[in-house]
Amino acid sequence: MAENNSLQTQRLIVGVFSFLLLVVLIIVAAVEMKRTREDKPVIEISGINNRCVDCHTNKGIAVKSIDQWKEGIHAVQNIGCYDCHKANEGEFDAFYCPESDVLVARHPTPKDCAECHKQQVDEFAASKHAHQFWLIKNTDRSIFEFPLATRHGCEQCHQISNVWPDQSVGECDACHAKHTFSKAVARQPETCGECHIGPDHPHIEIYLESKHGNIFRANEKKWDMNYSTKDNKPIPIEAPTCATCHIDGNEAQPMTHNVSDRLAWETQSPWSFRTVWNKETSGNWEMKRSRMESICKSCHAPDFVNSYLLTADLNMLQYNEIRRMFVSWTKKLTANGTISRLELNGRFYSDPVLSGWDEVPEVLMYNAWHHEGRRFRHGAIMMGADFTQWHGIWDLQKDMVDLFSWAAERGDPEAKAWVNSKNPAKFVPYALYDFPGNAFGINPLSNLQPFVYTNFPDYWDRIYANVKTAYEKKLLSENQWNLWLKRFNNRDHYLGYKYNADSVFNFYKSLDDIDTKAFTEQAVELKLPGKPFWPSSPSSPSKK
Amino acid sequence: MKIKEWILHRVPFDIQRTSQVMERIFLKEPIPKHMKNWYYALGATPLILFIFQVITGIMLALYFIPSQQMAYESVRFITEEVRMGFWIRGLHRWASSLMVIAICLHMVRVFFTRAYRKPREINWILGILMLIITLGMCFTGYSLLYNQLSYWATTVGTNMINEIPLVGSIILNLLRGGEEVTNNTLTRFYNLHIGFFPTLLLIFIIIHILLIRLHGVAKLEGREDEESYSFYPEHFYHTLVVTLFLLTFISALTVILPPGLGEPADPNVTPSHIKPEWYFFSVYTILKILPLKLGIYLLIAVVLISTFWPFIEDILRKKWPKVNLYYWVGSITIVLFLAFTVYEIIVS
Amino acid sequence: MELEEKPKLKTRRQFLINLLMGGGLLASAALLVRHGIAFIFPKAEPPISRKLLIGRVGELKVGEAKEFQIGDRDLYFVNTADDYKVFSSICTHLGCKVRWEAHRNRFYCSCHQGVFGNDGKVLEGPPPRALDEFKVQVDNNLVYMWIEEKRRGML
Repeated sequence: MAENNSLQTQRLIVGVFSFLLLVVLIIVAAVEMKRTREDKPVIEISGINNRCVDCHTNKGIAVKSIDQWKEGIHAVQNIGCYDCHKANEGEFDAFYCPESDVLVARHPTPKDCAECHKQQVDEFAASKHAHQFWLIKNTDRSIFEFPLATRHGCEQCHQISNVWPDQSVGECDACHAKHTFSKAVARQPETCGECHIGPDHPHIEIYLESKHGNIFRANEKKWDMNYSTKDNKPIPIEAPTCATCHIDGNEAQPMTHNVSDRLAWETQSPWSFRTVWNKETSGNWEMKRSRMESICKSCHAPDFVNSYLLTADLNMLQYNEIRRMFVSWTKKLTANGTISRLELNGRFYSDPVLSGWDEVPEVLMYNAWHHEGRRFRHGAIMMGADFTQWHGIWDLQKDMVDLFSWAAERGDPEAKAWVNSKNPAKFVPYALYDFPGNAFGINPLSNLQPFVYTNFPDYWDRIYANVKTAYEKKLLSENQWNLWLKRFNNRDHYLGYKYNADSVFNFYKSLDDIDTKAFTEQAVELKLPGKPFWPSSPSSPSKK
Repeated sequence: MKIKEWILHRVPFDIQRTSQVMERIFLKEPIPKHMKNWYYALGATPLILFIFQVITGIMLALYFIPSQQMAYESVRFITEEVRMGFWIRGLHRWASSLMVIAICLHMVRVFFTRAYRKPREINWILGILMLIITLGMCFTGYSLLYNQLSYWATTVGTNMINEIPLVGSIILNLLRGGEEVTNNTLTRFYNLHIGFFPTLLLIFIIIHILLIRLHGVAKLEGREDEESYSFYPEHFYHTLVVTLFLLTFISALTVILPPGLGEPADPNVTPSHIKPEWYFFSVYTILKILPLKLGIYLLIAVVLISTFWPFIEDILRKKWPKVNLYYWVGSITIVLFLAFTVYEIIVS
Repeated sequence: MELEEKPKLKTRRQFLINLLMGGGLLASAALLVRHGIAFIFPKAEPPISRKLLIGRVGELKVGEAKEFQIGDRDLYFVNTADDYKVFSSICTHLGCKVRWEAHRNRFYCSCHQGVFGNDGKVLEGPPPRALDEFKVQVDNNLVYMWIEEKRRGML
């Protein structure tokens, strides 16, 4: 029996171990199933491209571009070096590769890209990215900045609208960096931000300040930006990048490389105006605005979109009124000889309404449109609050004060009157637009404060007349006018007057009073015993 | 039983006697009681692992291509794309390491129980030879991978063979199939690994086991009168459990520590650290510390002493009958081996 | 009378243990065999196809053919009257390279005088079947061909 027992134990052990083996084999099979096999396509290099790759690799010239090309989508489809870099005898950029008989083009232009991407090239050429507006008044600017400074400056960004000797326009690899020509890189906000940056159009800064930019930053590592929105595919990412609103499509509309197709305002120009660019093909500004709204409404409620955009639109129009004031002053000062235009051989090199670099009013007027005026407008329409406020209207108003002060110092009577006036309304020497409330919510407190609200009983009548005129001049659409009317007729609700939050405000005010008391006691009423060092003279540095 | 008669007519062996002998050899073979200890299953373990290696090796050979261009790629193919490929390869790789360990443990057991003593000296010599062949199989097998480490380990390893006196350069040329490590080297190593060495090893294993069966399992010194039990079913069950355990353990190792691929071999780029497999670390260290010629001579001396140890011990025993020489020699050898191995691990 | 041999009684414990052992051995052996067979029989994977750009619409006149390479393959891109076609340049007889004869609108193999029409079909000579053809796709004004993805290294 003892033998049997130990044999039994043996059998038991065998049984246990065989089950253990079974378990492990199952685990092995599971590991096998879970393995994902990634099939990287084999890049085949054929024909003349072999020569390019071989020579470049052997001589070590720009070898990384070969690696970049392999990563991109052209390589997989057998589109190689020579397909873009082929050249015919006599072309402006044709040259023979050193030590070879291969004639190549140094600068593949949009004409070359158009061989396969004709639609995108045509769309781009119809947009303002292809417009060389910077050259139209360039002579005036060029007196202020000499050419060498512009090579790596102005010319680098405006290369995107380069006109080539072969009559094509544009620079496709400004956004689709060569040689991967990656969509993901093109969609990266910083790509747009290479040029759309800085004190005169801080678009990348505005974007990154905005909620859109913030959510993008928080999530960008998780998002695959290599998607396609052709064929009415929906937007796959949670928050928009520049490309999402300005280029990509959604279920309702196709993507387009024509960024002007969705822009209802011209906001970089000295005067804001509703766009008429390519009216025949892109439609009027209302058509363009509806394209943009379609993207907004992928995420946002229609009422929010409409209220926000109407407020922004009114800001665009308001800027015009501020500019009107600047322009009238520079015109006046030029007319009465206080300031003068630059001139040589009968040709003018400065313009009282556009540019001038040597006299304060000219500089102020220029900055008021080219810098703070643009920041004010772009911040208002692209959700960059700081740029609308501190880098926008605040700077604009300061420019105005500086202008009046300068003119007053030089004896202009109107300016002097302004400087000497004790009327607090002097900071609004222009017509105003307004929007009852804002798009974000109802605030029962904030609209009780403004000076113009409390001191001008006919304030809203004036506003009404101005907005109505804008509508009648077709600067606002009928839907916008109706929305504004709805707000206007329900001012009590939208401006919060109907509601009372005084008790809440008083609570915070009482806390604020405590703060006031604190800083009064700590700072204002503090008298230090140690005497200041001036105006008394120093004691002689002797004994002690 | 028409079939039985048909066969017996054409293959005339005495079926009665054969089955009797078979039974005696395989089923009823008396095994001394001390073998019930698991320690004594260490002889069967290398055999089981050898069978694993043969089976998995044959399976791997279905996909492996022994050419400079395709060797690495075919191993990658097996590991990444063939179904269960990574498992078969992992088994083969891990079993090779475990086989070396099992043989060493078996050697230690045999050595410290002095089972090599008369009349079993030939078996001991066979064992040493089998150890050398196994190490040869490990060396050649690893080189077949043709990644950076294996290519350079092959180069360095075969370079050392050059230092063997008299026959060194001839053997080197034979192994490499030329002066340098070329495509010939790979094919020769492949031949050695799947042809010559396994066949030789199989023959030696058969003779080894035959001798054990003929002599009977060596009884422990001082316990010549102990009882024995029959092979089947107990020792058989032991073996079965060992097999199952090994298969489980190696499969688990494959999943947890899968064998990697490394970089494909590049004869133009020498990596900064060239290391052989762990079981060669001690040899590697010795050859690094001592001048090369001295090191080679020393290693040859060690091999010769190990091979003929039973006879050497006999002579020395007559001189110093009271000293347990084997105890000292064995312990010192083990300590030195471990020390040099650990040294190489730590230093690199 | 002889005592009948008692049948060997097995306890339930013995039976269960035997079952465990037998079952375990059988199951693990079965899974082992399954893994081995999976290894030995390679999986028949469906070939993956890839699109390659080979030319533009209008690049070739009707009846014209252009020779080009994909990797190490020589191919012909033909504009037949109906549509675009891509053929291998390897003769289906014994593997020589065929030549496009524009003036005769045919592929000619000089090894054994095999003749293929501009649609790849055999017109004369020993070739047993038409030239190997690749799938062609026209998208906008671009012409693509589909080839099977080369598996890395093996096959």
